[in-house]
Amino acid sequence: MASGPDPLAVRLAELDPAAIQKILDELRRRFGATEEAFASTCVRCGLCAEACHYYLTSQDPKDAPAHKLNLVLSVFKHHFTPGGRMLPGWLGAKPLDAAAVAEWVDSLFGRCSGCGRCTIGCTSGIDIRRVIRAARGALAAADLVPPELQSTVMTAVRTGNNMAIPKAEWLDTAAWIEEELQGETGDPGARIPIDREGADYLYAINPREVKFFPLSILAAAKVFRAMGASWTFSSESYDVTNYGLYSGDDGHAGLMSARLADSTERLGAKTLLLGECGHGFGANRWEAQEWLDRRYPFPVRSVLEVAAEALREGKLRLDASRYTKVVTLHDPCNLVRLGGIVEEQRLLLRAAAANFVEMTPNRLKAYCCGGGGGQLAMTRYADRRLRAGRLKADQIRATGAQTVVAPCHNCIDQLMELNREYKLGVEVKTVMEVVAESLVPPGA
Amino acid sequence: MLGTALASACSLVYLVWRTRSTGSRPLISAPAGRRWPGVVHAFGRDMLPWEKESIRLNPLTFLGGALYHLGVFVAVIYVLLSVLLPGVHPPAVPLRLAAAAGVLAGLALLLKRVVKPELRILSVPDDYGANLMVDAFLLLALAESFFPRLEPVLLVWTSVLFLYAPVGKIRHCFFFFYTRILYGSFLGRRGVFPPTSARV
Repeated sequence: MASGPDPLAVRLAELDPAAIQKILDELRRRFGATEEAFASTCVRCGLCAEACHYYLTSQDPKDAPAHKLNLVLSVFKHHFTPGGRMLPGWLGAKPLDAAAVAEWVDSLFGRCSGCGRCTIGCTSGIDIRRVIRAARGALAAADLVPPELQSTVMTAVRTGNNMAIPKAEWLDTAAWIEEELQGETGDPGARIPIDREGADYLYAINPREVKFFPLSILAAAKVFRAMGASWTFSSESYDVTNYGLYSGDDGHAGLMSARLADSTERLGAKTLLLGECGHGFGANRWEAQEWLDRRYPFPVRSVLEVAAEALREGKLRLDASRYTKVVTLHDPCNLVRLGGIVEEQRLLLRAAAANFVEMTPNRLKAYCCGGGGGQLAMTRYADRRLRAGRLKADQIRATGAQTVVAPCHNCIDQLMELNREYKLGVEVKTVMEVVAESLVPPGA
Repeated sequence: MLGTALASACSLVYLVWRTRSTGSRPLISAPAGRRWPGVVHAFGRDMLPWEKESIRLNPLTFLGGALYHLGVFVAVIYVLLSVLLPGVHPPAVPLRLAAAAGVLAGLALLLKRVVKPELRILSVPDDYGANLMVDAFLLLALAESFFPRLEPVLLVWTSVLFLYAPVGKIRHCFFFFYTRILYGSFLGRRGVFPPTSARV
């Protein structure tokens, strides 16, 4: 296959003052009180370095979160603070020039998965991920997002899902899953509802499930059926992912989230229910309403919250003896450390699997798998991504697990690659897949 | 000296106020938790040495930082007391211990910054300069406790330090609290802080 010059390299080589000004204008717009406070707080102690999976696996000072943070803060100080203008050399304030922009692109897109572990490690609590996302947004304003990531964003914007799955294919897949559901449950009335009005839940999933992991959808459908849930898919908007969270482009990110919100309202669903997707949860639960400056009239919840609630209330009955393999759990950063969904998946897995073991460290201190932040899309940084994932691979190996559960399809893709790269010999599943295998049949 | 202390405090308060008045995007998604319990956690359990991984992995740096800041705090109190209440003579031993430990810790942290490549790449002149200015202040406070005739030198240097505080990294003495509140508030609102159960 013929390949032309790298469009990003061309764009960087042709960078003109107008593009640099665009970046600065957007950075100024994105830097509010919070980011400015961070600029006055970081003392460059470097203690965040050992929180970062990139740094820990490379020992490259450029991978230290404080270095990435200060690439941005030094520019902010130079252009937008009196001290930085008066004493630039002394305070380390630097102008944004073409070389700095190239380093921003390489470091902010290529050396960070936005996992937020450095924030927990920072002695002051600086949200480094937030500053990096603001700077990514500034780069996006000048069309400097790595094209592989940008094309994922634009595919979703243009087609309604990030895999460009035509509506007919989606509906065919749903119909096939419905037949499977009926066959496996022996219930000819079992449905994969599409565009059902007035349901309790509008369920949104990662389109990779439609394309590559339909059994994941089947598992969720079995669990909903067992819970007696009233739910539906939308024929138009079912993509929970939002790569605008990663590109930093709030405009496109808001547009993608708005589609899910609009479908929820159009179908009169009571809740927007988010499937097992870490960044999709972060985007649609926590960020979308701010992007859109619009308060949703319905709650946005994770499928894990709803299933755990059903388990607590006795609506969902599980038999752990049905799943006897050793199971461990990966904590997706956007869902757990940044999202607050920490115990629900544990409650479900303890009820669904007889041999559940935690990785160490876990929960808020879990290591990122390395697949977030758009890294899976940005193939140019694949070597770094796989190297950074070594910590997660080591963690998995130490548990002796046969099954790794990850409530996030992005993480699952990365974990499957780590499985091959580091020869872990595990299977990787969603929470719903394990729960579905342990369901107690109605009447049993 | 009191004038410079007041000017420094006012400048720092102004900087925080000005930063805060920049404004932030309003958060309108429904909260999953409460801000203040998150802030309390951020200033409490989350700062404990055995809780914070970065501290656990770097106990000497943590100890150095703690002694350094304690030394500065004690020395500033003593200097302010000597100016505000000239007739009062608090015992010199706590000052001597805190200042001596502080200056040693400060120099150790400076050495670490010079020696470690991942810190060198990060560092700017202010990082070295501010450290040396504070070390000199601690050294002067220590020396003055033995040789009171050094008091004018100490007061002049303290004034310089106060005037410098809002300019460079020393401003973190105010902004640390601001950022820590933002941190606890953010994670509290998202239901992450305080954590629901024990871990690692």
